[in-house]
Amino acid sequence: MTRGLVALAIVALFAVPWLVTNTFFMHLAIMVLMWTALGAAWNLLGGFAGQVSFGHAAFLGVGAYATMIFHLKLGLAPWYGLVLGGVIGALVSLPIGFICFRLRGPYFSLATLAVAEIIRIIAINWETLTDGPVGMLITTLPELRVLGQPVDWESKTPFYVMIATIVVAVIGATWAITRLRFGAYLLAIREDPDSAEAVGIDTVRTNVTALALSAFFTALTGGFYAIYFRYIDPDAVFSIALSVEMVFIAVVGGLATAAGPLIGAVFLVTLAEVFRERFQVWHLIFYGLFMMLTIRYLPEGIWGRIGLLLGRRG
Amino acid sequence: MALLEVSGLTRHFGGVRAVTDLSFTVAEGEILGLIGPNGAGKTTAFNLIAGYLRPMAGRIVFAGRDLVGLKPHAVTKRGIARTFQIVKPFRKLDVLENVVLGAFLRRRGRREAEAEARLVLDKVGLGAKIGVPAADLTLAEQKRLEIARALATRPRLLLLDEPMGGLNPTEIDQASLLVQRLREDGITIVWVEHVLKAIMKVSHRVVVIHHGEKIADATPEAVVQDPAVIAAYLGGARDGHAAA
Repeated sequence: MTRGLVALAIVALFAVPWLVTNTFFMHLAIMVLMWTALGAAWNLLGGFAGQVSFGHAAFLGVGAYATMIFHLKLGLAPWYGLVLGGVIGALVSLPIGFICFRLRGPYFSLATLAVAEIIRIIAINWETLTDGPVGMLITTLPELRVLGQPVDWESKTPFYVMIATIVVAVIGATWAITRLRFGAYLLAIREDPDSAEAVGIDTVRTNVTALALSAFFTALTGGFYAIYFRYIDPDAVFSIALSVEMVFIAVVGGLATAAGPLIGAVFLVTLAEVFRERFQVWHLIFYGLFMMLTIRYLPEGIWGRIGLLLGRRG
Repeated sequence: MALLEVSGLTRHFGGVRAVTDLSFTVAEGEILGLIGPNGAGKTTAFNLIAGYLRPMAGRIVFAGRDLVGLKPHAVTKRGIARTFQIVKPFRKLDVLENVVLGAFLRRRGRREAEAEARLVLDKVGLGAKIGVPAADLTLAEQKRLEIARALATRPRLLLLDEPMGGLNPTEIDQASLLVQRLREDGITIVWVEHVLKAIMKVSHRVVVIHHGEKIADATPEAVVQDPAVIAAYLGGARDGHAAA
């Protein structure tokens, strides 16, 4: 039955562009899916392994910049750059992981914050590569034919299909991990790193693997960000606010759950739309408020609570 | 040939000489009791052997290979499993999952690991507690869970750090039976304990540590008569419950 529901959900997901014609709602749907992908990617590391990163914008930015640079400087179509960007995001995460995972608990979180800031400053100053604070712009996306039909870049549909595919990949990867020894190992490390070592788990290597996976999907989504908005600058894609929003989504939706980030993303995007116009700068305060309320009254998150109520492990 | 050969093991913390020039051997199938007053360096010795601490000097040779410098997980892979004096279960996970995590070391598949975990849980008498979160167990049960988790990694050598600490007399008798059963299974054990009565009954040989140095290494009967051991336990600050 579960299998049928999942298949139905995926079909419904890809049917949306043919049911919704309003461009604004399509944009909202794309934003929800983008945040779902980011929240789910963060959750791989923060939820399962319990390693809270405050610097995931670093990977988003690396993915976005890689996509842009490959396209503008080397002429590579951005959809290839997007995948390459994911790989580069994962590669960048490896040295960070090997250094930072020797630190435990809050030290890891602090290190991620610092690393993200370092990468932002590099992006601002390495002007020959990134064009610095001016940012990078794609004026027109190159032509692409799918099944003989030219893709219409002025419509939202191709972007929707792209991000929906990424979401299915991240959530699918999360789901698979919960069923593998690797997923059990991550939970063990979160519960007690000493005991994890005692049963033969290489805690550093396991965490580094989780970080690399998480960074890959975050950078992939960063590449999508670049293609969708066609413009990036260091303050847009490397901002701390982005990192915090990823944490928000995973926590509100439900840590270490496969579907939680979708709920968290719906929540975040709605919140942003409702409060951003009326309160402008102050809408960030509402994020903080909701996060505090969740941690205090719903520590397992919305999806986590639903899972508990249904008597399942999410 | 000895399964484990510790020689010249030394570790100081600042001015505290936790373990100094400690040497002993453990033969395959033997149960070695490691005793000594509070703060004698027993747990430090365990942490050195299991890779949680790096020795300043000395060698730890297990099955012919030096373990010094290996991380704890690598030591476990070589076949040394440990329990913790202050229990460290995976608190939010249930009893079965705690032991499955141990069994995963030698069996990748979940089904095989679960089957193995159930066998081990039956052996330690926790078969009825499979679905209970580890945090909800009594201390005695958590100590058993630690043993089960360690056994599931299929060790050649088991390091038990005070499996009876904090237990009541009935629970001590039960734990004593469990260790005896492990002994009958032929598992090699190094066992740190404060409950001397239990350790004297089950151990083949006893090593006594005092101020980080070995002061006796003999059969249980010989050790209790050793004047140096009696002085260590009764001389200086009286360590009442240890002498019981």
